[in-house]
Amino acid sequence: MRSVSKSFPGVRALRDVGLTVHVGEVVALLGENGAGKSTLMNILAGVHADYEGGIEIDGQPVFIHSPKDAARHGIAMIHQELNLVPELSIADNVFLGREPRTPRGTIDRGVMRARTAELLGQLGLRVPPRTLVRDCGIAERQLVEVAKALNLNLRLLVMDEPTSALADSEVHRLFAVIRELTARGVGVIYISHRLAELAEIADSVTVLRDGGYVGERAMAETTAAELVAMMVGRPLGELFPRAPEQRSTGPVWLAVRGLATTPKPGSGVRALRGLDFQVRSGEIVGLAGLMGAGRTEVLEAIYGACGAVDGELTLGGRHYRPSRPRRAIRRGVALVAEDRKAKSLVLDNTVRFNTTLVALDRYVRPWRTVDRRAERLAVAAKIGELRVKTPSQTALVRNLSGGNQQKVVLAKCLLAGPSLLLLDEPTRGIDVGAKAEIHALMNSLAEQGTAIVVVSSELPELIGMCDRILVLCEGRLTGEFHRDTGNGSAFDQEGILTAAMAREAA
Amino acid sequence: MTETTRTTDPANKGRVEPPVANGGPKTTKERLARMLPALGSLQGYIGLVLVVLIGIITKGQIFWNQTNLTNAITAFASRGILAVGVTLVILTGGIDLSVGSVLGIGSMTAAMLLTHLNLTPWLIVPLCALVGAFFGLCNGIGTTWLRIQSFVMTLAMLSVVRGIDRQVSDNVAVGTQLTDAQGHLTGQAAAFAKLGTPGHNLLRGNWLPLFGQVGIGYPVIALVVVCVVFQLVLSKTRFGRHVYAVGGNPTAAKLSGVNVTAVTIAVFALSGLLAGFAGPIDAAYSASADPLAGTSYELDAIAAAVIGGTSLAGGKGTVTGTFVGALILTLLDNVLGLNQISDNLQLITKGLIVVLAVVIQRPDFFRSLVSGARRLRRGRNLKSTVDKQKAEGAPQ
Amino acid sequence: MMRSLPRVLGAFAALVTLAAGVSACATSAPAAGGNGSQFVIGYSQSNNAEPYRAQLNLQLQYFVKKYPDLKLDPITDAHQDSGVQVSQVQNFIQEHVNVLIVSPNEPAPLTAAVEQACAAGIPVIILDRTVNTDCYSSFIGGDNYAIGKLAGQAAVQALPNGGTVAELRGILSDQPQIDRDRGFRDGIAGHNITIAFQQEAKWLRANATTIMNQWLSSGQRIDLVYGQNDEMALGAYNAAQGAGRAGQMKFIGTDGLAIPTGGIRAVELGQLYTTFVYPTCAEQAAATAEAIVHKQNVQKKQTLSTVQVTTANAPQLYSQYDMSGKVSG
Repeated sequence: MRSVSKSFPGVRALRDVGLTVHVGEVVALLGENGAGKSTLMNILAGVHADYEGGIEIDGQPVFIHSPKDAARHGIAMIHQELNLVPELSIADNVFLGREPRTPRGTIDRGVMRARTAELLGQLGLRVPPRTLVRDCGIAERQLVEVAKALNLNLRLLVMDEPTSALADSEVHRLFAVIRELTARGVGVIYISHRLAELAEIADSVTVLRDGGYVGERAMAETTAAELVAMMVGRPLGELFPRAPEQRSTGPVWLAVRGLATTPKPGSGVRALRGLDFQVRSGEIVGLAGLMGAGRTEVLEAIYGACGAVDGELTLGGRHYRPSRPRRAIRRGVALVAEDRKAKSLVLDNTVRFNTTLVALDRYVRPWRTVDRRAERLAVAAKIGELRVKTPSQTALVRNLSGGNQQKVVLAKCLLAGPSLLLLDEPTRGIDVGAKAEIHALMNSLAEQGTAIVVVSSELPELIGMCDRILVLCEGRLTGEFHRDTGNGSAFDQEGILTAAMAREAA
Repeated sequence: MTETTRTTDPANKGRVEPPVANGGPKTTKERLARMLPALGSLQGYIGLVLVVLIGIITKGQIFWNQTNLTNAITAFASRGILAVGVTLVILTGGIDLSVGSVLGIGSMTAAMLLTHLNLTPWLIVPLCALVGAFFGLCNGIGTTWLRIQSFVMTLAMLSVVRGIDRQVSDNVAVGTQLTDAQGHLTGQAAAFAKLGTPGHNLLRGNWLPLFGQVGIGYPVIALVVVCVVFQLVLSKTRFGRHVYAVGGNPTAAKLSGVNVTAVTIAVFALSGLLAGFAGPIDAAYSASADPLAGTSYELDAIAAAVIGGTSLAGGKGTVTGTFVGALILTLLDNVLGLNQISDNLQLITKGLIVVLAVVIQRPDFFRSLVSGARRLRRGRNLKSTVDKQKAEGAPQ
Repeated sequence: MMRSLPRVLGAFAALVTLAAGVSACATSAPAAGGNGSQFVIGYSQSNNAEPYRAQLNLQLQYFVKKYPDLKLDPITDAHQDSGVQVSQVQNFIQEHVNVLIVSPNEPAPLTAAVEQACAAGIPVIILDRTVNTDCYSSFIGGDNYAIGKLAGQAAVQALPNGGTVAELRGILSDQPQIDRDRGFRDGIAGHNITIAFQQEAKWLRANATTIMNQWLSSGQRIDLVYGQNDEMALGAYNAAQGAGRAGQMKFIGTDGLAIPTGGIRAVELGQLYTTFVYPTCAEQAAATAEAIVHKQNVQKKQTLSTVQVTTANAPQLYSQYDMSGKVSG
């Protein structure tokens, strides 16, 4: 694939980008969000039909203008947001659009199930092919996507951030699958922000920046520092820009005693069982734990997103009973939800619309009309402060890159001036530069006295940013770790993981 | 933060900078661009212009004169008002199929209040609107508290309200042209006729150049006022923002502190209110309230909204667009009628125009047209060069 | 999630068996009606929500009451849906009514249902529209062709020197529309009268107003408007009245219902030039039913004549056909 260009109405664009993948090789594609990685891959997968430049396979020029073309040439793509139909079974998904027929013309489910079981077996996934995708975990779904790709005559597999939602053990299983594929001669393009992973799995790495080609390196001959410099275009300072000392001198802002929830059975929401903790003004408290430990549920319970909860809460010294988000907002609580597209943004509306959605009351005149001048000024100030890259305030949020979308979510929350900020995976799936900016922002907010609770699956991030880390397992608190060892046990990756797996005896 | 390194980075040149701090528009073009959303998608007007042009070309003065245009819009006004309410509901991601029936009961209520209680229109119209709002409220409560999908809830309401309408009227139309012993309209009946009976236009006289001697009907005024009011509500108020937020992403709206339940109930109530409000207009137009009045009007209303660029998925659309959509539908009807197109051909043409209007008003219509043509051309060129290469390489 | 085909088929078969069992039980149930001295009449109406049919319902109730040994079951309304009407007719068959009266929504779909009644030994009276079978006891209806022709002749009378006519048509596929249109054209043939405009207004007043407005805009001369029913003629009158041109043309309707918004009153008020009473058949239907239950012979086909409504006879006709206050409950 060489010299591909593509233009978009928004910020994204590609200029003269080239990429080569050899048989059985894993090529990592690296770049900040908005650098053009996803665009390039979508061209390869036939999603964007309109581009300039050419694609060659085995030295032959090929035309890829639709997903069908891509499939014919053995190119499969696993998107960040998986493309499976949740209400169909695994076998149905694997054969979607290519269902085998019996002589009578009905779907031959026997063949489908047998073949799917065989594919799943190759991937080490022990799940019956009849299982509905709805009932599969994220890691399982990903493997189902791989099985779907294998079911084609797979020659090139593109994976966009496959590990962003996976736990460590699941990542290792995925890597084993990738090695198995490359051994069979399949080429893999692997997009990820996690440099440590790339060192483990990739053979070479290609870096993009701002839609342009920066360079290519053999993985063994490069360093993380060099790659980051290539991506950002400048040497990156310290990743976690906080001062090393503890900052928990402020008054207790949020105090929680006996926080418990009883979600509807079957909703997949973890019940919280009697949590006690406090957060001080100016303190950053991390919530660690495995997937499904109840971290998101803690934040949503405090925010009132899942209705009334049990337990005694005080906020800013006054009694606080979470029931609905509106009340939480009025009490100065803000939530940056885990899934920004599903829970935080109105994608088809403008940056300005999204930014002022929470704090709109501040710009309302009599008759509840919006003072649009005041609104415009406030949005301009906030997106300038957070350095949101957008052509204008009226650009659609859908056309922004992931990092900039996340900044819009942050701007929305900060415009309301929260005294308690709840962050759920605030840096998931965004590039190194934006990550650092968000970390710096958390720091400065804490210094101004905002109480912050942050959930993250990346332990180094929590260890780097937090004053205290609380560990959850199955809806209970199973550990507490302090930056300042004078207050208790110090940060310790192994200790935190142990606490995260401290399941109760059944 | 490392602002200095970033702004001097050559790679960032030509990138769009964050908007200037005052946020104000810099050029006329930008100022114009800011006004555009209020006018809806500009391409939506193409369909309207086309219909008007066809009308003028084929019928000239007969089409393009005040009487004809006023008559045409009057005939559609009640459906246009329904379309505004339906637009609100669609913007929140719902649908309201009951508006036709609610209009029917509004018109029956109006005729009965006039004939039995001899009320003045000044009371009849608000009362009918309230009756409509009540049924709308029921729709809203059903879709929120009872968590019934709006399609099902309003489909049921369509049937219930029509049944009530037919029950109270005993399946007999109620006339509104009440006369006294001398055969003259009674005072209230004459006032009611002003709500839309042909020939009872308002604002007659030469004092307004736009309306001239013909005057303009109350239905047209009502439609325009309703459109202006609701366009302002949607674009300028907090409630309007919340409507778009609920339709665009209900979860995000809820987590942003929007009272999704209240907004949903409110849009259904408003839709019912507008349908009830349109009832007297419909009754006055045919000088009687038929128990079947408004049947299948909901489809015209939804068509007007969709032609006007409202997305059935919610969160996208404007009342201005819906107004344009309503104009396209009514003028198309008029042009086809004036040209004496046979009835069956009219049906075919109308269906095709609806599809065409929806396709044209897509924001990327022209871009995809251009790029599609370009791709076609390039694909052919590339293929021919490849074939040439193959031919040259073959002898080796 | 689709279940496997065999299982689906199995469930379906079970349902069918169940339904068959239930209906078998129902047919073996003892027949209601006919006991004592009263005879039960079932009437299946195609659509209550047309003024003409609402009037027919009222009149039937009124005239059945005049025979003490007849009892009318609640009238069923098929809401213009032939499928619904078939099942309603079948319900009457299950009930074993003594006489079944049907106003078919459409001929073809109702034919089988009428044959079923026939097979069950229930005498059937068909009103207004035919069915494609002979096994009914009596058909009672008006003659739409004749009424259309009379309207045409009235137009000739109104325009002695010829002129241009606009015709507002009902739903094009409806048989009365087809017959009235044919009759009208035959009626005006050879009298220098041309039909300049014609369009489908679906029997509705509001549609007629809109269409008439367009015709008025065209600037062409219109001397007379023929509405295939009074509603459409009055809709056109409203439009012409609004344009100040009602005095320049005459309006002819059809149906002549004795209701406040109907044609007889409109003729009385001078809005319509004339209209024609389309007979509701209710009186004859009641009399025929009485004859059938007493085993008397009835005429197989009864065609009812129309009455032309003029300003002279309008008040008298109105009081004759007016049902308000005559039927309670």
